[in-house]
Amino acid sequence: MAKETLTEAITLAESDAAGLAPVKSRTSPLEWVAENGIFVFTALLILASVVFVDGFASLVNITDVFHRAAPIGIVAVGMTFVVISGNYLDLSVVAQVATSAVILIAVSNEYGLPLAMLAALLAAATFGIVNGVAVGYFKANAVIVTLATTYIGLGLLRYFSGGSIFFGPQDGIIREFGLGKLGPVPYSAIVLLIMTIVLGFVLSRTNFGFLVRSFGVNERATRLSGTNTAAVVIGAFLVTAVAAMVAGWVLAAFSNTAVSAMSQGYDFRALAAIIVGGTSVFGGKGSVLRTLVGVIFVSVLTNVLVLSGISFGYQQMALGALIVAAVTVDALSRKAAKR
Amino acid sequence: MSQTMQIGERETSLLGRLRLTIARRTEGRGIVLLVAVLAVVAFTEPLVFTSYQVSLGRIALIGLVALGLTAVILMGELDLSVASTLAVSGVVVALIPDIRLGILAALVVGILIGVVNAFFVAIVGINSFIATLGMLFALRGLAFVLSDEAPVKITDVDAGIAFGQPLIGPITPRVLIFILAFIAIQVFVSRVKAGREFFAVGGNRQAAYDAGIPVKRRIFTGFMISGFVAALAGVINTLERTAADPTAGSTVLLASFAAAIIGGNYLKGGRGSIVGTLIGATALGVLQVALTLSGVQVPVQQIFIGAILLLAVTTDPANLRAVLGSVRSLRLGRSKAQTPGSGS
Repeated sequence: MAKETLTEAITLAESDAAGLAPVKSRTSPLEWVAENGIFVFTALLILASVVFVDGFASLVNITDVFHRAAPIGIVAVGMTFVVISGNYLDLSVVAQVATSAVILIAVSNEYGLPLAMLAALLAAATFGIVNGVAVGYFKANAVIVTLATTYIGLGLLRYFSGGSIFFGPQDGIIREFGLGKLGPVPYSAIVLLIMTIVLGFVLSRTNFGFLVRSFGVNERATRLSGTNTAAVVIGAFLVTAVAAMVAGWVLAAFSNTAVSAMSQGYDFRALAAIIVGGTSVFGGKGSVLRTLVGVIFVSVLTNVLVLSGISFGYQQMALGALIVAAVTVDALSRKAAKR
Repeated sequence: MSQTMQIGERETSLLGRLRLTIARRTEGRGIVLLVAVLAVVAFTEPLVFTSYQVSLGRIALIGLVALGLTAVILMGELDLSVASTLAVSGVVVALIPDIRLGILAALVVGILIGVVNAFFVAIVGINSFIATLGMLFALRGLAFVLSDEAPVKITDVDAGIAFGQPLIGPITPRVLIFILAFIAIQVFVSRVKAGREFFAVGGNRQAAYDAGIPVKRRIFTGFMISGFVAALAGVINTLERTAADPTAGSTVLLASFAAAIIGGNYLKGGRGSIVGTLIGATALGVLQVALTLSGVQVPVQQIFIGAILLLAVTTDPANLRAVLGSVRSLRLGRSKAQTPGSGS
């Protein structure tokens, strides 16, 4: 990751300007955990699950983990852009995923698949632009803006769909894709892998990706260097919206049904994956690959909790605590680095 | 009743003083929304005014949570966990057989949640948006765990029913508690030293710290207020419905945020008013009741409230100034690029 050193250079330059230039020779254990902990924890978790949890290592279960991880993972790798740009998160992915899923099934039943995909793309672009303009141009708080667009989006979706469930035809491309597998790996997981590679490339190797990261590190410096920062923010929200759209398609294909309530909790699971992966909510630091590791961690953890018969409430508590714990480690390691 | 500190500005003429007062009030957008809502409702659904008991109850529901939020927003922080605090405390009331003990326990739970939130924000140094979002999800889980994922009936149903009855005229205990909470918080932030320091903490934290204000303790106070008030709302909900719903609060979250922000509380902190929150809550409460009476479905109501929240957060005067600034710099940048020699 050649470009990551560039963002670090900006951070260093910043601290230089502030008159305190700590050239760190060695890092504290806390910083090491914040940096590399997730890889160790994920390996340990998988190892422990294989050894101690009955039924985890079965082929059926592994495929199931892939199936459940794929849509959340696709949302998470897209949302990484918004988080790295320092805009906290996009809560409206819940509405975006459901909208895209319902549009794909409902419109393709009537007018065919190409038109359905086009309509879903249009809806995703609308979400991305509204969120992006409000946050980037009007400098509004991203959490509040996306909270509002979540309810507007879900409200519109429930109004137009009447809250009913849409079923796809029993034989068709959507159904074939949803059931298709390459060995034990369903197609949806392959889509996740492709999205990770493509978005990882965009974030770490392209000009746009560099601007997103530099905006996250120092918004003012990015603007003063002549960048149209509003466009960068709109771009970050558009990437998230397109990823959420793909996630909606994958989710709809998996069950061959679509309903407005199908993506509940996606905002929070995706955020958990991103933060646990080590992408900082303070902006600027992180990568799409880290998010993928975070998705694996969160998905395996959820699967283990389900297999152990732990109820939904405890799962929610565990993931909420996980978010707070990961952010705490990040915040404390930052404090340690400043010292 | 000035709420923002203006130092060094003196106007003696009546007109000048009036202009200054208007300039430092922040309730403008809330008043515009309230007038617009009242005007439309008066023509289309006058029933709202005759069934004022329903309207008052709705305003009290939105307003109570919004009041607690305002205390936190004044300091430039945010408490997203109020929705789950409401659900958890509601379940706690229903679970404890003795109603007095239950109410006490629920309120203590609310304050404890506030302390935990403040710990992560003030001591650990996590952004309050993310810290309280994590708490929102964790506490929603807790509400499910405590209630065994089903609504819980309260043991003393008679007390619950008695609680829902109006005391004097249309004033139900809920409305009375809301009015008392409004007066208490209004007096606290405008007359009590600790409350007035909220504005200083929100306006410029470093300056407040340098001036000797115990910033961390004020953040604890603010989150404890919002936790306590949200718990109070949860208790009232459970008592009125005689059952606790672990999924409660998600719709209140949206409306109470909209009320606090449209009422003129700057999200960046330092400026705002409790009166503005009341105006915002009144506008949204009347709107919701009017929409319900006209037979508009809940999803469509959420579109309206979501749109108001989006409008409120994008038309924040501080934001608008930034937008104008960026437009100006964009134009300047263009004209500079057009001058020969400066480009390339």
